[in-house]
Amino acid sequence: MSAVVIDRPAPQLFEVAPDNWKLAILAGLVVSILAALALPASVSFWIVGAMAALVAAAFVVNAYRRGYYGGLLVAPAIAVLFVMNIFPLLWSLGLSFFAYQSNQQSIRFVGLANYVKALTNDLAAPANWHALINTAMFVVFTVAAQMIVGFLLALLFSKQFPLRKYLLILVLTPMMLSVVASGVFFTYYYDPTFGILSYVMNQFSNEQFILMDNKVGAVAGIVFADAWMWSPFVMLLVLAGLVSVPKYLYEAAAIDRVSGWRQFWNITFPYIRGLLMLALLFRTIEAFKLADLVILLTKGGNDTLTISYHLIRIANEQNKTSEGAAISYLMLFMVIVLTNLYLYIANRRSQGA
Amino acid sequence: MTVMMKVKTLATAAGFAAALMVGGAKVASAEDVTLTMAVPDWPPTRIMKKFFDEQYKPASGNTVKLDVDFIPWPDFYTRVNASLTSGEQKYNFIVSDSQWLGAFVEGGYFRKINDLLDADPAFMATFKSIHPNPLNAYSTYPHKSENYYGFPQFPDVLVNYGRADVLCNEEEQKNFQAKYSKKLPCTGEELDAMTWDDFKNVGEFFRRKKGEMLAGKPADDDFYGIAFQAGKGYDFSSMQINGFIWQMGGDTWDETKVPNGQAEGVVNSPEAVKALEKYLSLIEYMPPVARTGTMDIFKSDELFREGKVAMNVDWIGLGEASLDPKTSKVSDKLVFGQMPGTLGPDGKMIRWSNIGGQPFVLTTWTTDSQIKEAVEFVKWWLSPDIQHQFAAGGGQSAIKSVYEDPKYVTYRPWNRAWAPQLDWQKDVWHVPQFFELLTQQQDQFDLAITGKQDAKTTLDNIAKFQQNLLTEAGLIQ
Repeated sequence: MSAVVIDRPAPQLFEVAPDNWKLAILAGLVVSILAALALPASVSFWIVGAMAALVAAAFVVNAYRRGYYGGLLVAPAIAVLFVMNIFPLLWSLGLSFFAYQSNQQSIRFVGLANYVKALTNDLAAPANWHALINTAMFVVFTVAAQMIVGFLLALLFSKQFPLRKYLLILVLTPMMLSVVASGVFFTYYYDPTFGILSYVMNQFSNEQFILMDNKVGAVAGIVFADAWMWSPFVMLLVLAGLVSVPKYLYEAAAIDRVSGWRQFWNITFPYIRGLLMLALLFRTIEAFKLADLVILLTKGGNDTLTISYHLIRIANEQNKTSEGAAISYLMLFMVIVLTNLYLYIANRRSQGA
Repeated sequence: MTVMMKVKTLATAAGFAAALMVGGAKVASAEDVTLTMAVPDWPPTRIMKKFFDEQYKPASGNTVKLDVDFIPWPDFYTRVNASLTSGEQKYNFIVSDSQWLGAFVEGGYFRKINDLLDADPAFMATFKSIHPNPLNAYSTYPHKSENYYGFPQFPDVLVNYGRADVLCNEEEQKNFQAKYSKKLPCTGEELDAMTWDDFKNVGEFFRRKKGEMLAGKPADDDFYGIAFQAGKGYDFSSMQINGFIWQMGGDTWDETKVPNGQAEGVVNSPEAVKALEKYLSLIEYMPPVARTGTMDIFKSDELFREGKVAMNVDWIGLGEASLDPKTSKVSDKLVFGQMPGTLGPDGKMIRWSNIGGQPFVLTTWTTDSQIKEAVEFVKWWLSPDIQHQFAAGGGQSAIKSVYEDPKYVTYRPWNRAWAPQLDWQKDVWHVPQFFELLTQQQDQFDLAITGKQDAKTTLDNIAKFQQNLLTEAGLIQ
């Protein structure tokens, strides 16, 4: 059974034809290597790029002539993905093996030295490690807070009550605000002189209340601001699960006089578990990257420096590009491992259920 | 061909190609020249653009356009740094913090201007009429060498902002006299004569709870005596602490002593530790936000404008807002003096302070025709007439003949504190490692400010880090 119509036989290896992708690869490799060896980097860079384009064009013509339309249809998406995403990713992977600073014109191959520095240097490694522990702490606290608040909000909004529609819009607003706007809002909210929080707390005690002058307070402040912004996101996902539960199941349960708790556990929960897991995954990945609120609220003070902010300082502010790239790859590696571990556990549990 | 050589060739070739393209695109005919400039968005740069548009007539007869990108302060470094390091070669002029010189000169972005000065005696004369302290801070790299890079855009120093209504109140004056056997400083001259101990007394004296009497009325909110920068961001504690350290006989790592100047033993000398302890001892008299490590120059300014403190040490650059009744509750109650000093063993006042303000610099890819117009523009900008207008509009001038003119002190209430402080200005770290030095030091100072660590440990940590980093960079041997 062959649906694919082959118009003509594939060209010989050395036959010059627009669809001869094997020859294109060969020629591209030879020309690229020669160019890289003989020409200055500024020229050879573009020649290698042109060769990559030539190979891609040969693949396209080949796919068109052989009728691989599926491949042709996804080709633009893959091209964009490659140019915007995979190429920079590989480029930065390459950079992580060099000693390179973006504000200096020199570059030197150093192998794994950047990774070794990030993991073992007696000044850099403890700082990285410490920032990572802080990040882990924020992941646990912010995600837990968002999941609990988002879940409770979803339970509330799954019921019908007056003004529900308008309240729902209000509750969703924080999610749509820019992080900078919320950050500035919360700096004033927590400010001991101008802020309402200290104003209220000062009514109850003689001591001046300062939320952000210790680690517990600073972390609480950041977690609260983050939960304020992102709980509605969890709520939206869970709410979608809640409204998809068929009404008749509850009716049947009511006839059987099943308790509220058992109704929730045996009917509601299985319907929303998948979405809860999805929300958990999204928020965990996002929480790993937490930097904006920290910058706005504490600048990393009171021991709230996260690995992302640490990385911004190294790579962007201090221009230590390759060292930053190495740390980013270590982080990427960790996130991939954790995500896979999580997916593995989630899959096993859903199969077991 | 090594990888390093290749990158260098790439950079040169790319630079050359871009220069051709930019030159070709920007100078369509000999008469049209556009100068693109990156500046922070605040009054001193807005005024410059306004003056240029209204008054500037190029002598060459060309049509010169000044295309200015106003970038908000908090983003300024990130944007400029990204533009330079990405190689987009967008700007001909860049307003740069003085300490960025090393990093961006070494990167090949900032253009040395010695040839331009040598070619034009009138330009050189103007340039040399700048006070030597701002000139060294804003233009030389290596620091205090004869290699020149920048021109003052907005020179700045720290001054003491005071609330005359509170400080000059008779009741307060009487009580202060009774408590400290000293007069509560009230006039500009009395503010000038203040030491940090007097400043501390003001802090202690004016701590009032809401409802307690303040200058004959019950305070409508908690009130505090003093404020200065003590924030973790950017350089918002170093710029104040450096002054304390220098005044009290300590030192920072001195870049002019490369390669023999050390960090360990200097940065954490007993004098420096004492100076930091003095700085830290004042925090408790400030608005409580100081204890969170977020009291930056903007926060202390805001607290002052909102009428929550009696005195605030801050840059002149933020002053305009406190004069404007739309942004300031204290606009009609102001008195200004020099930043407090320290009495030396001979009884004379020592006033060392870290210079603020910014130069603007030329970039290396600016074409010949652009450079010609740029030089004309800078000469015009530094000409006494324009500098007077700039100062009258809220700027400052570092040109001797301008700030020594008797009219100068009449422009703004803080101008009286400007010229006498110029001789006491120093600067730090024009080296490429500036940002690493700064972030580590700010982190350490923050730990001390928020009470997590004592002064000795803080300076020991800073000294160790600097010794290590600068030795690696070959600046300490």
